[in-house]
Amino acid sequence: MTDVLKLDHVTKRFGGLTAVGDVSFTIKEGEIFGLIGPNGAGKTTIFNLITGVYTLTEGEISFYGDTLAVKDPYGDSFMDGLKRRFFFKALKPNQIAERGITRTFQNIRLFKKMTAFQNVYTACHRSATYGIFASFLPFLPKYRREERMLKEKTETLLKLMGLWEVRDMVSANLPYGMQRKLEIARALALDPKLLLLDEPAAGMNPEETIALMDLIREIRDKFQISVLVIEHHMDLIMGLCDRLYVLNFGKFLAEGRPEEVQNDPAVVEAYLGSPEEMKELGGVKDA
Amino acid sequence: MNVFLQQLINGLSIGSIYALMAVGYSLVYSILNFSNFAHGGVIMLGAYFGLYAVNLIGAPFLGAIIIAALCAGLVAVTLEKVAYTPLRKRNAPSLYFIISAMGASIFLENIVIVTIGPTFKTYPELIDKTPISIGSLHVSRLDLMMFAVAAVSLILLVLIIEKTKVGLAIKACSYSSRGSSLMGVNVNRIIFVIFLLGGLLAGVAGMMFGMRYTVYPQIGVITNKSFIAAVFGGLGSLPGAVVGSLLLGVIETFAVAYGESSYRDLVAFVLLILVLVIKPSGLMGKVTEDKA
Amino acid sequence: MYFDWYYIEGILILVGVNLMVVLGLSLLTGFTGLFSFGHAGFMLIGAYVSAICSMNFNMPFVLAMIMGALAAMAVAAFIGTFTLNLKGDYFCIATLGFGESMRLIFDNLDYFGGSRGLPGIPMKTTFPVVIIVCVIAIVLMTCLIKSRHGRNMIAIREEELASQAIGINVFKYKMISFVISAAFAAIGGVLYAHYLGYLQPLMFQLTKSTELTIMVIFGGLGSIGGSVVGAFVLTFIPELFRAFSTWRLVIYGAVVVLIMATRPQGLMGGYEFTDFFRWIKRKITGKKYETPALLKEEGEQS
Repeated sequence: MTDVLKLDHVTKRFGGLTAVGDVSFTIKEGEIFGLIGPNGAGKTTIFNLITGVYTLTEGEISFYGDTLAVKDPYGDSFMDGLKRRFFFKALKPNQIAERGITRTFQNIRLFKKMTAFQNVYTACHRSATYGIFASFLPFLPKYRREERMLKEKTETLLKLMGLWEVRDMVSANLPYGMQRKLEIARALALDPKLLLLDEPAAGMNPEETIALMDLIREIRDKFQISVLVIEHHMDLIMGLCDRLYVLNFGKFLAEGRPEEVQNDPAVVEAYLGSPEEMKELGGVKDA
Repeated sequence: MNVFLQQLINGLSIGSIYALMAVGYSLVYSILNFSNFAHGGVIMLGAYFGLYAVNLIGAPFLGAIIIAALCAGLVAVTLEKVAYTPLRKRNAPSLYFIISAMGASIFLENIVIVTIGPTFKTYPELIDKTPISIGSLHVSRLDLMMFAVAAVSLILLVLIIEKTKVGLAIKACSYSSRGSSLMGVNVNRIIFVIFLLGGLLAGVAGMMFGMRYTVYPQIGVITNKSFIAAVFGGLGSLPGAVVGSLLLGVIETFAVAYGESSYRDLVAFVLLILVLVIKPSGLMGKVTEDKA
Repeated sequence: MYFDWYYIEGILILVGVNLMVVLGLSLLTGFTGLFSFGHAGFMLIGAYVSAICSMNFNMPFVLAMIMGALAAMAVAAFIGTFTLNLKGDYFCIATLGFGESMRLIFDNLDYFGGSRGLPGIPMKTTFPVVIIVCVIAIVLMTCLIKSRHGRNMIAIREEELASQAIGINVFKYKMISFVISAAFAAIGGVLYAHYLGYLQPLMFQLTKSTELTIMVIFGGLGSIGGSVVGAFVLTFIPELFRAFSTWRLVIYGAVVVLIMATRPQGLMGGYEFTDFFRWIKRKITGKKYETPALLKEEGEQS
């Protein structure tokens, strides 16, 4: 199986704080890969590094063998800031999305005032090719053909996610679970090769969570993509993922198949804490 | 060399007045995160209050300053209540605040035009015009006085912020007003205080500005330059506002002395764009990073 | 106050001039989410360049208009390269600086008449010309908004980070929006120059930019219909009351503060006239918007 995404000794520091330290893992093609860890372990930071929102402090990320992100060689001084501005060419989030990595957000970031339909319709934009001048001439056959195609694509995606009935609702008014599904639909609109899901089941009840598990598998099989998922719901993670990577305070804790990880004493301790540690930390582990 | 020193002193004295104004912009920005363009209107009113205190009541220099400051402070606080409180209650985006501020500044400018008239007015001579001579340097007493008044006001402000409980609360709010309110800080009161402080300084600045030049309803346009100084130093940072203002005052004075005087105002705007391009957060501004 | 067609026509031409700029601003502010306090600067460029083209080079009106728009677009592209990366307030401060510097620069350029002004521009802006230009502009703008490029701009307004995540080149679309909006503002300036026959940098002060932005807000952000209404109401009514011109701006300022305090989304924020017609149709036919069955079940449980 080919490697889809490879993180090689990835480190991200904010000032003196190491948010992610020396993380390495590889996602294989067609895999559903779980990223778990207590709050503040640096999971979302890893997403932001992969999607180019942040720049790396150390290490390298590659996607299907191509380099996606390398470390930022400049420091914090004024001159380094200038140099970074003019010489450091990191891939922008939109370029990474074009290469085939799309994501959802932990704190939902839908286009709030648009309807569900418009959200996905907008995201399909890469499937059309007409230029900016053609948009002033909407009667041209190319324009009409492509717009019709976009609408059909949107319809397929919304039906798949079970959102077709609510297509005309303003997305901010949708129930929480549907908003999360809509984000997935929007991410799929770009025909990604790797889908990053940031806590897709947050705010869902147990039945919805189980349905979501099936849905994610269905998506994986139908679009033949790989999935990287961050989640807190242990049921979902254990039932869904092929492999897991566990983070604690930005550092590697464990890696392997769900049942291996589940019985790893280090993981148990990180989640429940050893009695002495509980006292030491005064119960503020999640800060 | 003498010309150089002379210009430097001129630049510092006008820069210190810019500083009084810029601090008002920065105080508001540090907590509410928007540029209060109505501040120019408050400064302009301060100049008029000072003028009328002198002309009608015959107040002495210091008395007039205090009257101007108090009245301007009152205006600033009223402005906050009328124009910004409804927006704050709704958590409106900062750009709505800017629009409201623009509206308020149009209102203030034109209410003065309607009631007092658009004509230029000058202060009577409150301070002896004869310059003080140190060697071959001639420093006008007014310039010295401006510098002294500005310095005293700014020191008072720093004392309030550094030494009092209210000051501590202001600093806390500038980090996170939500967090501070959860810790029991009455954010409404803090916002009242910063508008009051900004207004008091605006009154002082307005009167000094009016004494140095003239008083007219469009002073607010000139005071936009002090806003630029605040951006230059970094919006939301008080030391930044002061340093930026002094720098702007000096640079501007030199540009006029050694260059074309008609480009005087242009200097400020070109500087603004340069700063924004090279270091968008200004010399000492707070950096905000977008969180995903 | 007296009414005759000549007077009304003059006001309507001014409405058209403002409408052009407001349409441009609406694209930038209402649909892309960038606020500008420097559009008077683009108006100024369009006005002066076209005036020189008409006077010194005897170009036909249409060509002069295109030259004015192109000049503004070039300047916008240049300014945008440096400023469009700025966040929130800082961008609108930069545009403020740009607008004011444009005015101050033209104050000092003798070729353009300096601060004394530029007289003798041929008066080519007639009422039919304004109508034609405005109708074309509205149609073009509507087409743009409805296309995939327009949708991308709206996405940027709604959620910048998410639009990057779906592969939208935020900088590129901000640039397109900025340049097109500068072109619209410039054409407004062209019409203005050839209506007055006389130009002076003072006409394009910060207050002018503010007034234009206020028209967009008043009409409602994210609505082309709203921009038309905003430009019409806020140009027409103050002009009618020119007799009380001193009080005009006082009321203007107060109204702005009042609107922001009570209805900041403007008269028709986010809605178009077509939505209104649809709403009337629903009222007449008595058909209500149906809650999708999916949601109904959830609602009934509670």
